[in-house]
Amino acid sequence: MSSTAGVLTQSSPHNQGIQSVPLGKIAIWWFLASEIMVFGGLIASYVLLRVHNGGWAGQAAHVRWQLGTLNTAVLLTSSLTIALALSASRQDKRRRTAVFLGLTVLLGVVFLCVKGVEYTGELREGFTPASGLFWSFYYGMTGLHALHVTGGIVANLIFLVMAVRGDLWTGKQRRLEYAGLYWHFVDVVWIFLFPLLYLS
Amino acid sequence: MVNTGNDDRLYITIWGWLLGLLVAGVLVFTLHLATIPLLVFIFAVAAIKAVLVVRNYMHLKAEHLLIYAIAGIPVLLILGMALVLIPDIVFRQ
Repeated sequence: MSSTAGVLTQSSPHNQGIQSVPLGKIAIWWFLASEIMVFGGLIASYVLLRVHNGGWAGQAAHVRWQLGTLNTAVLLTSSLTIALALSASRQDKRRRTAVFLGLTVLLGVVFLCVKGVEYTGELREGFTPASGLFWSFYYGMTGLHALHVTGGIVANLIFLVMAVRGDLWTGKQRRLEYAGLYWHFVDVVWIFLFPLLYLS
Repeated sequence: MVNTGNDDRLYITIWGWLLGLLVAGVLVFTLHLATIPLLVFIFAVAAIKAVLVVRNYMHLKAEHLLIYAIAGIPVLLILGMALVLIPDIVFRQ
């Protein structure tokens, strides 16, 4: 048993006391819980209103599921790369950590670019947020998600710079874990938005 | 948490499953099945993908029960809210 920054570590996490959970981990999960309320509320509202207004299928047919599929694959791959970055950081493989963090940032940018292409096409066809309730939800939910992706890219970029400059290796690897949790959450949100908006 | 190279193999395996489930969901979508079976399938696939990410990438399977509570209670609240609103919204004339 050792003590680091007020955290007592034992072998099995499930039967340890609450004191064994790092405060930073509780904080990030608390933040994610608030995000669950935000996106969960939006998704629940969308589902309820769509079931009530059966005519959305016509509007929903104009979204490009092929680009949505590509974006889903991009985001799933970015979850892999940030998981590999965290794994590498724990093995003190510094170059590998930086490479995978860089790939995560790059994939996030690719996601936003593809989203931009989608938005451009849909706006050119005349589908704006005011075009109907489906489009209001579509732009609102995917726009809010894209903002979260942007925030995640910024955070991952900061960690990439820290990794390259050597600052990440001064006991700050746990922060990379928290950034990874946020990024995976953004991925999970998209896992539900994709079938909701593109496949149904 | 001690990390080994075996974790990398697990992450890549999970990624393979995630992509496979994505392809399966899209393929079923392109078959133009009846609405209810299609919706059940694609959202079941989404739920499985989410569980794979949360359990393996977010390491929830190795976390304290407190983390389960922090993550799970909002989900239950949202589900409860949706259920309570069904009579007012879905069946509104």
